[in-house]
Amino acid sequence: MSELDLRPVPCTDDPDTGGFWEAAARGELAIRVCSDCGQVLHLPKAYCHGCGSWNTAWQVVAPTGTLYSWTTTERELRPGFVPPYTIVCVELDDAPGVRLVGYLDGRPQLESGMPMSATFEVAQGGVVIPQWQPA
Amino acid sequence: MTTRDLDHRDRCAIVGAGRTDYSSRSGRSVLSLATEASLAAIADAGLEPNDVDGIVRCDFDVVAHNDLAHALNLPNLSYWGASGPGGSAPSGMMAQAVGAILSGQATTVLVYRSMNGRSGFRLGKGRLQGQAGAIGGNGSYEEFFVPYGLVSPGQMWAMLAQRHMHTYGTTQEQLGHIAITCRERANANPNAQMATRGLSLDDYLSSPIISTPLRLPDYCLETDGACAVVVTSAARSVDTDKPPVLIRAIAQGAVQGMQPGLASPALMREDPLSLPSVTVAKRLYQRAGMGPEDIDVAQFYDCFTITVLVQLEDYGFCQPGEGGPFAASGAIGKGGSLPINTSGGNLSDGYIHGMSHIVEGVLQMRGESTSQVPDAETCLVTSGLPIITGAMILRKAA
Repeated sequence: MSELDLRPVPCTDDPDTGGFWEAAARGELAIRVCSDCGQVLHLPKAYCHGCGSWNTAWQVVAPTGTLYSWTTTERELRPGFVPPYTIVCVELDDAPGVRLVGYLDGRPQLESGMPMSATFEVAQGGVVIPQWQPA
Repeated sequence: MTTRDLDHRDRCAIVGAGRTDYSSRSGRSVLSLATEASLAAIADAGLEPNDVDGIVRCDFDVVAHNDLAHALNLPNLSYWGASGPGGSAPSGMMAQAVGAILSGQATTVLVYRSMNGRSGFRLGKGRLQGQAGAIGGNGSYEEFFVPYGLVSPGQMWAMLAQRHMHTYGTTQEQLGHIAITCRERANANPNAQMATRGLSLDDYLSSPIISTPLRLPDYCLETDGACAVVVTSAARSVDTDKPPVLIRAIAQGAVQGMQPGLASPALMREDPLSLPSVTVAKRLYQRAGMGPEDIDVAQFYDCFTITVLVQLEDYGFCQPGEGGPFAASGAIGKGGSLPINTSGGNLSDGYIHGMSHIVEGVLQMRGESTSQVPDAETCLVTSGLPIITGAMILRKAA
């Protein structure tokens, strides 16, 4: 069994968040938005706090963003993630204020605000996970 | 009813405080730790277990209220409650105790936190450690974090620290001053786990990185131990053994729009550096009729040094972004304008998930701290971030 096999996979069939993983399986990034007022609903949820609507949709966005923050972890915290590894937090170009995290091996050279682009990694069981790397 | 009738200012008091030894391996059940700390708090108040009719616990505690009531053989339990999540709980637990007392549901409430936090379940490895199968769902949102290796609150706080450095120019040395300050207080406290281990700035800067930019001394000490306090009405408190410590005010609060899940979703908020402590500070000072200038000593929740740094800003002791220079100025040291974490805090005394901060606040208000602030009459005590938070102001009875 490789280290990758030990990594946890996301739940992909939750009613509130499943559309994100369905889009990822198609090689796309999608965010949940209100169909009535356009409010972005992130982290994804079914109810729009902006206008009270329950009509929402998954909107495909560009797989690009900028680096908001990151950390390089030097200790093993969970099997499957061998240090050093780096977690990035990326703000989407198409949806300012909407952020996603990604995993990178090692200690990459990073700078706040640098352009990042999404890739689509096939994880254990065929689950597709959006990842981020310097553009 | 007048406003005065509705508020809780100075109407309840902490009359007893207790703790166990802190260690990395207690060799005892969490229930035994909770029982020992509770008995210590009850005895400190000059009361008997029969006097306790309320219990409030933290939602993360493995000891349930009825477990503890059984261990203490309480015959008169008439109220129980819980707050959370986790380290944000203690101020909310105290708020429930006050609410129960002022609404006539209880007269004498035991508030506790107990954990084998080092030898048992280590929170630093994340709440979902060991969970097999697909992660997340059901409103936890962990599917957006754990599959990426973001499993621990320390990693999330490291990213907030990185962002604070980028936005405000905060430095590692400034974070180090918080770790060193807490260590100095621990070095004066024979009960602290770091009582005999010094920490210089050179030591700090050469210590191992855990998750950039945070180093080992930026992290709290996962601990086996327990703390408890006894709360009663100010009127009844005059009959107890020790000088009562008045609860001037308590407040809980969130950021606008709240945050779901546990720590990691803080990164998904509109502004991750804007924390619920901003909301709580405003509400707390309003309820207390006080401001930061009235605070003589503070016990800041310190799961990480960066957590203290942002609270120095949020509770109004310096301007937003100035937490670093303020921490490095000496202001938070023993002779400074705002001595902090006088037992050594989570960082160097022990991590009892914010409950030890209340115990130390009580000792300060009685003049019994090992780093007593001369003539201290008010103490700010805060609870955990970043999800939601709470805080209170304790006051020496006149």
